[in-house]
Amino acid sequence: MPRIKVESDKCTGCRLCEMVCSLHHIENTFNPKRSRIRVFTMGDHCYPVIAGPYTEAECTAKTDVVIDGRQYDGCITCRASCPAKTTFKEPDVDIPLKCDFCGEPPDPQCVKICPSDCLTLLED
Amino acid sequence: MDGWTGKVLRVDLSKGEWEDEELDLDLAEEYLGGRGLATKIFFDEVDANVDPLSPENKLIFATGPLSGTGAPTGGRYMVVSKSPLTGAIACSNVGGDLGPELKYAGYDMVIFEGKSPKPVYLVIDNGEVQIKPAEHLWGKKTDETDDMVKAEMGDKWKALDAHVAYIGPAGEKLVKIATIMSDKHRAAGRSGLGAVMGSKNLKAMAVWGSGAVTVADGEALKEATFAILELLKSSTTVEGLTTYGSMSSQFPMNRMGVLPALNFQAGSFEGVANTNARPLRANLLIRNGACFACPIACSRVTRVTDPEYQGEGWGPEFETCSLLGPNCGIDDLAAITKANYICNQLGIDTISAGGTIACAMELYEKGYLKQEEAGYELNFGNAKAMVELVEKLGLREGFGDILAEGGYSLAEKYGHPELFMGVKKQQLPAYHPQALQGTALALATANGGASHNRAGVYGSELWGYPVKTDPLAIEGKAALCVELQHYKAVLDALGLCQYIVFGHVEAEHVVSLLNAATGIDYTVESMMLAGERIWNLERLFNLAAGLTAKDDTLPKRLLEQPMLKGTYEGQVSRLGEMLPEYYRLRGWDENGVPTKEKVAELGLD
Repeated sequence: MPRIKVESDKCTGCRLCEMVCSLHHIENTFNPKRSRIRVFTMGDHCYPVIAGPYTEAECTAKTDVVIDGRQYDGCITCRASCPAKTTFKEPDVDIPLKCDFCGEPPDPQCVKICPSDCLTLLED
Repeated sequence: MDGWTGKVLRVDLSKGEWEDEELDLDLAEEYLGGRGLATKIFFDEVDANVDPLSPENKLIFATGPLSGTGAPTGGRYMVVSKSPLTGAIACSNVGGDLGPELKYAGYDMVIFEGKSPKPVYLVIDNGEVQIKPAEHLWGKKTDETDDMVKAEMGDKWKALDAHVAYIGPAGEKLVKIATIMSDKHRAAGRSGLGAVMGSKNLKAMAVWGSGAVTVADGEALKEATFAILELLKSSTTVEGLTTYGSMSSQFPMNRMGVLPALNFQAGSFEGVANTNARPLRANLLIRNGACFACPIACSRVTRVTDPEYQGEGWGPEFETCSLLGPNCGIDDLAAITKANYICNQLGIDTISAGGTIACAMELYEKGYLKQEEAGYELNFGNAKAMVELVEKLGLREGFGDILAEGGYSLAEKYGHPELFMGVKKQQLPAYHPQALQGTALALATANGGASHNRAGVYGSELWGYPVKTDPLAIEGKAALCVELQHYKAVLDALGLCQYIVFGHVEAEHVVSLLNAATGIDYTVESMMLAGERIWNLERLFNLAAGLTAKDDTLPKRLLEQPMLKGTYEGQVSRLGEMLPEYYRLRGWDENGVPTKEKVAELGLD
């Protein structure tokens, strides 16, 4: 099963991944809110998050993540599309979005475009 | 509507009303967008003799057809108005993420008119517009304003994705070199447009949207994007910008003797050993920061641990560090960085602040400015005084109130206008015009006053982009300057960053992006002609505003007094020899006025 490794320390926050994802999935369209990868900036840190599976119920285990001794909202860095979030859903219609690795065989456009080598495709 | 949302928001702050207008697609085609289209609208609607700080002046936030499309570096937006500093047309160019977000929120452009009776801020929430009270934000620094406005967006997901432009205390206090900031660290830096925003009682503009930018041919745009990314990747200059930021040029420029020092009295400074990109990277850097869709990521996210100058933020960039540093005789990188943070928080142009304080230092050393007036022993090299004066400038406290009017006004006040180092009342950026002849011409003729962003001839003279030219030669410089002025006008109109030049991204690449986005069949010639149209329109505005060919000049010292030491010892700027050719190539008469034929050719009659 393919996976994408994210090294957020390398991320500069340029969001080219969001752009190419949006374009790949919707013809002639650039819309970060419909992208299956999002880059969130919290404090000094940019955190790319790739849309995971939809969960029907909101979780109860909202824990914050600690990076370099700083606390970040774990809900924001969580990959799931869930009822508590507006991210990773089609705007207006709320249909959940999930990364599909840009087809079969996997050819994730975000990995291809990332200028800071922050994303790597892993297959095992 | 490919490349555009098709909507312009017009906000009347006096009445507290707003309306949607359709984007004029014919005009957009003719002026490309951004700097071009906004200037055209401004030119048609505003009297050139308007008082820049009066309600009759307008303030336009504009995006280009490539903003928000993923075109490399296509994240920039432009702010157009009449400058309170120069009295000329102003177009200040900003990076970050706000420009694209404005399009996702449903608008290509926002035009502010009038003056609100009370402080307010504007919210564009996915096409829904609101004018909200901003008394609680008035007086707040930019970073606090950013946090507070985002918190008022409703939910945390919106706050996370919203982008906000605002003024700091400097803009509120009508400091003539005040900026409009966004994303905490990005500045519409030059020309004092923060004061225009302040004069309208407009504290901020927040935008969030879930809309799209659609383009004519996404696949072609993607192909052009990947080709440009490859070009950028193959450039060692771009690699330098990624690794060391814009500061990568400070050390080599100092060695070449073209780095302004001590208020442009010299072209190099020993202390650069302590201020350059290496100590910055080693001691301050947290990570590289990118603007929207930019693979270069030249911004520096930094932290100063030195207890005296502690802080966190972005910068310093090359211009900032060189003007607040060597140009003030200062070699303390922590102090320079702290001054940069203060500029960002109060909303001050770092270039003009550095130039103005350097001017004050020279006035002091020459005995024209007394210690009791300045409040400091203001010798070159006094880092502590520089940092404190930046804050006082932004808050108009004490001597800062005089600095807040800018270097031109300062030098006049103390009876020595010749010590002001600027063009059209705006401070020079950190390129020494005496050793860079073509750069001197570009600085002298820039429509918005001295700016490194209006032609970038320095890129040719220093680094060989787009072609290497001899810095001391004047032959061919007028033609190069004209061509690059048009190219930069194009980039500013489309929403791209001028740094792409350093990857040999030229007009033919840009036109492929533009055509893929808009579906219009521009040629390199028709696109560059639009650049010329923009340049001439700005010139016509300036002439109507009372500027003349006399304003296309440099400080007397740089024209007459030879450089003191270094590689370029004995050089003066040979501007006078290049200007007549420049006017002729432009199709302007000897007074720098576009001829009837030129005006007609560009469709400006």
